[in-house]
Amino acid sequence: MARERRDRVRQLGLVGLMGLVGCYGGSSARGEGEGGSAGDDAGTVGSADDDAGEDSTDGTDLGPFVPGALVLPRLTAAQYRHALVDLLGPDLPPTPVEGDTNPYLFYSIGATSTTLSELGTQLYEESADLVTHAVFDDPVRRVELVGCEPVAPGDGCVAGFLTQFGRRAFRRPLTEAEHARWLAIAAELAQPDAWEGLRLAVSGMLQSPWFLYRVEVGQPDPDDPTRLRYTGYEMASRMSFLLWDTIPDDALLAAAERGDLDDEQGLRAEAERMVADVRARETIRGFFAQYLDLGKLDDLTRDPATYPLFTATMPDSMRTETELIVDDVVFRERGDARSIFSTQRTFVNDELAALYGIDAPDAGPVTFVPVDLPDTRAGLLTLGAFLTVNAKETQTSPTKRGKYLRERVLCQTVPDPPPDVNTDLQPTEGDPKTVREQLEQHRENPACAGCHAFIDPPGLLFENFDSAGVYRTEELGMPIDASGDLDGTPLQNARELADVLADDDRVGQCMVRQLFRHAQGRLDTQDEAPVLTDLAARFAEVDYRFDDFLVELVVHPGFRTAVAQEGE
Amino acid sequence: MARKFLSRRTMLRGAIGGGATALVGLPVLDAMLTSSGAYADGSVDGPIAGIFFWANGTPWHAGHGAALAGPADLWTPAATGPGFAPSDLLSYVGEHPYSIATGLMPMTEIPAEPAGQGDGHMRGFMVALTSDRPRPEGFNHGSHTLTALRPSLDQYIAKHEEFYGSAVPRFRSLQVGVSDARFHDYGHWNAISYNGPDSLNLPVGDPGQLFNLLFSVPDDVDSVARRARLLDAVKDDAADVRAKLGASDRVRLDEHLAHLDEIQRRLELTSTPCMGPAAPAPTNDLHQKTAIMADLLAYGLGCGLTRVFSFMLTSPATTHVFSNLGVANDMHSVCHSGSWQPVYDITRYQMQALKIFLDRFATQLDPNGVSLLDRLCMLATSEYGEGWQHSNSEHPVLLVGRACGALVPGVHVREPGGNLAKAHVTMLRALGIDTPSYGFNGSETTEDLVGILA
Repeated sequence: MARERRDRVRQLGLVGLMGLVGCYGGSSARGEGEGGSAGDDAGTVGSADDDAGEDSTDGTDLGPFVPGALVLPRLTAAQYRHALVDLLGPDLPPTPVEGDTNPYLFYSIGATSTTLSELGTQLYEESADLVTHAVFDDPVRRVELVGCEPVAPGDGCVAGFLTQFGRRAFRRPLTEAEHARWLAIAAELAQPDAWEGLRLAVSGMLQSPWFLYRVEVGQPDPDDPTRLRYTGYEMASRMSFLLWDTIPDDALLAAAERGDLDDEQGLRAEAERMVADVRARETIRGFFAQYLDLGKLDDLTRDPATYPLFTATMPDSMRTETELIVDDVVFRERGDARSIFSTQRTFVNDELAALYGIDAPDAGPVTFVPVDLPDTRAGLLTLGAFLTVNAKETQTSPTKRGKYLRERVLCQTVPDPPPDVNTDLQPTEGDPKTVREQLEQHRENPACAGCHAFIDPPGLLFENFDSAGVYRTEELGMPIDASGDLDGTPLQNARELADVLADDDRVGQCMVRQLFRHAQGRLDTQDEAPVLTDLAARFAEVDYRFDDFLVELVVHPGFRTAVAQEGE
Repeated sequence: MARKFLSRRTMLRGAIGGGATALVGLPVLDAMLTSSGAYADGSVDGPIAGIFFWANGTPWHAGHGAALAGPADLWTPAATGPGFAPSDLLSYVGEHPYSIATGLMPMTEIPAEPAGQGDGHMRGFMVALTSDRPRPEGFNHGSHTLTALRPSLDQYIAKHEEFYGSAVPRFRSLQVGVSDARFHDYGHWNAISYNGPDSLNLPVGDPGQLFNLLFSVPDDVDSVARRARLLDAVKDDAADVRAKLGASDRVRLDEHLAHLDEIQRRLELTSTPCMGPAAPAPTNDLHQKTAIMADLLAYGLGCGLTRVFSFMLTSPATTHVFSNLGVANDMHSVCHSGSWQPVYDITRYQMQALKIFLDRFATQLDPNGVSLLDRLCMLATSEYGEGWQHSNSEHPVLLVGRACGALVPGVHVREPGGNLAKAHVTMLRALGIDTPSYGFNGSETTEDLVGILA
C-alpha cells in the first residue's frame, strides 16, 4: 500500500495532495482553510502530511519509513557558476544560462522537475565554449590549470588532466570507457594543437549530463535491502550542493574514496567541517531567501505619490534587512532559528529607519545598523519584506498575509478556492469600506466562509501595516482594528502574534519541513512523516541552532536513502 | 522605407546556378506553387508560421463577462464577411492584412478531478495554443501548476515533415518575448511554446541575446565544426546517463538529447552569413522593445534562419505594470478588480504593439518585392475572452498575413459558440499541412473557418 501511495504521489508530480482536507462545507479548528485569490502564490500547497505539525516530537525515535524516490536535479544557475569557478578558476566571463524556477518555493525543486529547453541547451554549449576559451587561450592560465604542457594530441599530460578534471566535474572517478571517450575527442580535435583538443574535451565534459545533472542512483541499503542508500560519492555531492552550492572539494572526494561517507561518523565529520566554512553561510542565506520568498521583492513597486517613503531602492533595503536578521540569528548568535519570527532586533539603513520611524543616526544609504524595533513590531512578519510582498499595490491583503503565515511559517495546507467562485472582492456600494469591512464578503458567502475563517483572522493582525510596511492607526479616517486570532487564540495585533509564534512548535517543525524539501529537491511524501518528526526532534535537541541542525539532516537516514523511481 | 535582403534561399539559388527553378526540398502542396516554382503570390520562399500572444484577452462587454448594461463591445467588428470595418480596438492594428474570427471558444471536456481545470487562463490558453486541454496528471489549481498534453501549434508545425521536409533551416523555430513580467517564475507562466508535457521553449527576452543568437557567427568556422563534432561525445555520455534513470527522468533527458541534436545541426549550419540590423540597445518601453525584437526577428526570417516563430508580447496572466498608461496595479490584478477602463487602455496598447510588430514585417521585402507579411501565416491570440470573469467564450482570434496566397485577409467570420480549434485547422491548411481534422479531447473538428482560406 505504501508503495502504491508513493507512486500515486509521484504521478501527481510534485503535488502531494493527500493531506488535503475538504473545507468548503464550513470552518474547522485547524489546518483546513481555503482562500487566496488567483493571484496569490500558493507556494507550499500540498504536503504529504499536514498532521505532522500536531505530532509530538519529544524524543521520538525514527521508526520505519519509506524514503522518497530518486530525483535528477539539474544544477541551478548558481551551482553551475560556482562549479565552473571551482573547476577552471576565478575571473571567468559571464555566461547566461537558463534561469531557475521555484515551484513550491525552492530552486532545487525546479531543478528536479523542469525540462531543459533548447535555448538552455544552446546556452550551455556557448557557455562551455566561452569559458574554456577564456582559460585555454591564455598560455599562463592554462598551464596553471593543467599543470603540464601537452606536446602531442592525447599525450600523458592530456590523459592525466582528463582523469583529474573528470573526477571533479563528474564528482566521481571516470570509468575507463569515459576516459577513453574524452581522450579520443582531445586527440581527434587537436587542431591546430593539443591544447585545442584538450580545450574541446573540457568543453564537452562541461556539457555532459554527468556534469549538468546530479545523477544519483544509490545502491542497496545494507540496513534495509528494500531501499537504496546513496554511495559515498553521491553523498559527497549531496552534501556539497546542499551546504556549499557547488561541487565537492578534493577533501570531500577523498573522504568518499576512503569510504568515510558510508557511515554516520564520517558524514558527521565532513558535515561539521563544511558547515563551519564561510560558503555554508552564503548557501544558507540563499535557502532562507527562497523560503521567505525574497525574490518577489525584485519587481516590487509602489506609487510614490501614495507611498512617499517607498523609494526605488526600498525593495533592496528590505531584502538586505531580512538577510542580516537571518545571518545574525543563525550564524552570528547561533541562536534559536525560529526567533526570526519574534526577534526585537533588526538592521536598518536610513530609508528603513524612516519607514519604521526609528532613530538611527549612524545609518546611511548602504550602511545598516543594528537597532531595536519599536513596540509595535517584532520578527520578520512585522517588517518590510513580508508586509509589502504580501500586499496589493494600493491596499493591504489580509488574505495574502494570512495565507503566507499558514503555508510558509506553519506549513499548513490552504486549499484552492472552489473553481466557480470569483476570488476578488467585489466593489461595494456606498461609502468606501476598509479592507476589514470588504473582507466581510468572505464571511457572507458560504463557499468562501469556511476557508477564509482560517486565513483572514490571522491575516487581519497585520492591518496596522499598510501596503508599503508603514505603521498606521487609521484607514479611510477610521481607527484600525487589527484584532484577530490564530486557531482560536484571540490576539490584538501582529506584535502579539510574534509572541505566540515564539512558543509555537509548528514554527520549528515547518522550518524543518521546508529545509527537507529544499535539500531533497522535492516535496516530502506521506511515508516520510516519521523522518520529519524525527528531524524536528533533533532540531529541538540542538536548541534550534540551524547550523547544528544541518549536520543532523545530512547524517539522517532520511537524507541518505531513497527508493528507485518508477520504470527503473 | 522598405528594406531588401538577400535570403538564404536566394543565395542557395545563386549558388546552384542562378536558375529560377531551384527550390530545394520545400514540402508544400503542389497547388500552391506555379509551374515556375514560385508561390501563387510570387514569393519563392515558403510561408512563415507564427504565433503572436498577448495576455488577459479583451475588455469585457455587455453580455460577455459583464451584465447586459455593461460597456459596449469594442473588439468584435459590427459587420461580418469580407470588407468589414475594423472595430475600435482593431483600428489600432492598422492597415495590415488579417482576418478575424469571433465567437469561438474552447470545446475540450473538463475532467472533474483534479479540480480547477476549467480555469479560464489555463483551459483557454491550452486550447488556443494546443487545441487540447491542460494535462490532468499533476494539475494543481491552487499552486497554478499545469502543463500541456502536446506540442503547441508552432512546434507541431516546426516538427511536421510536411512543413520543412529535409530543408530545415538553422533554427527550426524561434521564441521571442517582450515583457519580462511573470505571473509565476515557474512552469507554464514563463512561455507559450511547448514541445510537449513539461517541456517549454522559453522565449528570448533580451534584444542583445536575440541579436547574438541570430547574427553573431564566429570568424573561425572550422572551430564551430569541431564544436558540433564534440556533441557526439556529449550524446554518448547522455546515453550512459539515460540507462540509469527512471521513466520520468528519462523523458527529461530525452528532451535534452533532442535539443543536442538541434544544436549540433545548428552549429553545422552556422557558416551561413546573415546581415542583421544594428546591434540593439536595451529599453524598458514595451512598444520600443516590440519594435526592436520584431525587427531582429524580421531580419532573421528574411535571411531564412527560420520559418516558425512565437512572439510573446506579454506572458500568460501577465503581471506587467503599465505605469506608462497611468495604471498603478499589475494587469492581472486590474482585470480581477473589474476596472474596465485600464483594461481597455492596456488592450489598446497591446494592439498598438501588434501594429508595430507588423509594421516591421511589412517593410522586409525580398528581391521580388514580396514582404514578410505576404508569407506570414500568424495566429494572434490571447488566453481567454475577457479578463474580469476570465470567460472563455468569444476567444480573440486573428489570422494575420497572406501565407503566400493561401490566406484571405479582410474577412470577419463570426461563429458564436464555434470551435476554437477551427482556427488551427485553418492555419495548418494555409501552411500546406494536410489536416483532415485537428483538436483533442472534445475539440476535434474537420472544419476550417469558412472564407479565410483562399
